[in-house]
Order: sequence, then structure tokens, then C-alpha cells
Amino acid sequence: MAEDLVLDTAIRDWVLIPLSVVMVLIGILRYFVSKLMRSSPTPDAKMVKEGQVVIRARNLKIGANFIPPKSFRARRFYFSNEENGLLHVPKDQAAQNPQAQMFSDPNMAMDMMKKNLSMIIPQTLTYAWVNFFFSGFVAAKIPFPLTQRFRSMLQNGIDLSTVDVSYVSSRSWYFLNLFGLRGLFSLILGDENAIDDTQRMMQMGGFGFDASKSLSAEKDGLDIIQHEWALPRFEHRAESVLRKLVQ
Amino acid sequence: MGSSEKRPKDAMNDIPTFSAENLQNNLKVIQNSRTFLSIIAGVLAGIIGFTGLTGFVFYFVVMLITSVGLMAKAGFSADLYFDSWNRVLFDGFLGGLMSFVLFWTFAYDLVHIF
Repeated sequence: MAEDLVLDTAIRDWVLIPLSVVMVLIGILRYFVSKLMRSSPTPDAKMVKEGQVVIRARNLKIGANFIPPKSFRARRFYFSNEENGLLHVPKDQAAQNPQAQMFSDPNMAMDMMKKNLSMIIPQTLTYAWVNFFFSGFVAAKIPFPLTQRFRSMLQNGIDLSTVDVSYVSSRSWYFLNLFGLRGLFSLILGDENAIDDTQRMMQMGGFGFDASKSLSAEKDGLDIIQHEWALPRFEHRAESVLRKLVQ
Repeated sequence: MGSSEKRPKDAMNDIPTFSAENLQNNLKVIQNSRTFLSIIAGVLAGIIGFTGLTGFVFYFVVMLITSVGLMAKAGFSADLYFDSWNRVLFDGFLGGLMSFVLFWTFAYDLVHIF
């Protein structure tokens, strides 16, 4: 059953390599296009202020143990005071912030659409191209055996049922490239923009309204901190350090 | 990877303090090295002609070697450079798998079938 098909060298030259090269090039092109098209949104003053407040609160949380108790408490009061504390968001405002702002802001909606399009179009085009030109023959052999259930998925151009499932059509070569070139892109394009469609789709779901939710999260985080001043212990630490140096 | 692994954690602190930027940089270094090595492992596996389970075993062996190499680079004290041991050892295992399979298939086909 495991006869070794000998495949034409022309397939290798004209299918495998061009397909991979085209996908790499399209990925690079997409990266540059998305860089060019990224319209820097004019930052909303309120959002920036809230973002900075969150950052300050986080710094306070991290460095809480290095300042005297009284000043820590004063700072915490400044943040989470009921009346005019910075992190305290009135209940009614909290509800309407997220969704309404997201979709009524035309800039952001356009941005999202642009990102979506720039991802979907090249993929669709490439897939259609592969289907049109490269269907109906065996393209590659996967080095590991798969069960019969994968046959319909991987061999859709080939109508013989006696061919080993390892021999796949070019469509599956396209999908293999799609997933496998992610790592290559992260190496080539630098660390910053290594993400591709699947990750971006995940990001779409959890969009950042850094507004009310993170504010109240920070407030809760601050409230539960037990302050333990580390400085009195530093004398002991200095002593041990000096001892180590002297010995 | 030489001088780019920085210390996010001051060695003699009782209180763990992390420099987030350095930590992230170290994680990026790990990911890059794993990706690179998985690609190379794929090409190697294809050229040698591994098939089936042997290939996957080869992939895991290479990943383990990567882990050991990274640990050696970090001086066997992961506490200084990362916030947890697990990250150094197991972070990019599955991420590199797809790249490995792609390049394995590619090299295997180029060398053996055509």
C-alpha cells in the first residue's frame, strides 16, 4: 500500500517553491502596507489622561513598600477617594462608556475595518489563485502518516482513493505554509510585527477600552494592598552586604 | 544572545523587583532562538529522512537541547533573568511545531521525492 510515487521535478519547481515564495512575499508586503496605512489616531485627551492615571496607580502598587506608610496612605487616598479620587468612576458613567464610544468614533471603526481588510484580502486572493491553478494533482508528501479521515481534507483535488494519505494536494500545502511561516515572519520582520491574522483576530475580541474597567480594577488592586515598609530591614541588608564584601 | 540577556532582578534583594522591560526582552530572546532552531531542525529532519514518529521525537529532542542551552546561557539560575523556571524550559515548544513541520515537509520532499 505504501508505494513510493515518483513525482515530477516540474512540480517541485513550479508549485512548491513558487507558492512558498509568494506567501513570504505577500506577508512582507502586508507588513509594509499595514505600516503605511496605520493612521495615527488623534489621541483623545480624556483617554490619555485615564491611561496615565492607570500607569501611575500601577507604579504606586509596585513601589508601595519602599515609601513610608503615611505617604503611601496619602497617595492611595488620592487615588481611591470616594468623592474626587481619580480612580473612582461614578456608576452611571461606567455603563455607557465602552461600546458606545467604540462604534461612534469613526476613526477607530475605520481603523478596524482597514486592518481586517488588509488581512483578509491577500489570503482570499492567494487561496483562489491556488485553487485555480494548482488543483488536481499531487503536490507534496507529508513525512508522517495520517489517518484516513484526513483524506478528504488534504487531498481534495485527487480522486483516487488508493493513494496514500500522505500525498497531499497543493491546497494543503497552502495551509501548511500559512501556519508555518508565522515563525519565519517573526524572525524576518523583527519582533514587533510578527503577529498574523490569527493573533489579530484574537485581539479584535478583547478590544481595549481602558476606560472604566481597568480603572476599577486598579482601584481594587490598590485597596487590598497591605503596606509593609521595607526600609527598616535595609539596615540589616546593608550590614550583610558589607559583611560579604569584607570577608 | 550574549550581552542581550539582562538582569531584571537585582540579585541581593529580599523583595523581588523586576524590570519589566528586561524581562520582556529576555522572553523575546527565548522565542527567537526557539523559532530559529525549530526551522533548522525541520530542514535537518527532512534531509536526513525522518518519517513519522521519529521526526516528532527529533523535534522534541531539539527543543530539549534548546532548553539546556538557554539554561546554560542564563547561568543555571533562572531566577535572575526570568520570573519563573517554566518559561525558560517550556515556552515556545508548540509554537515552533508548525514551522518545524513546514520545513520538514519541504526539505523531505525536495530531497527524497523529487
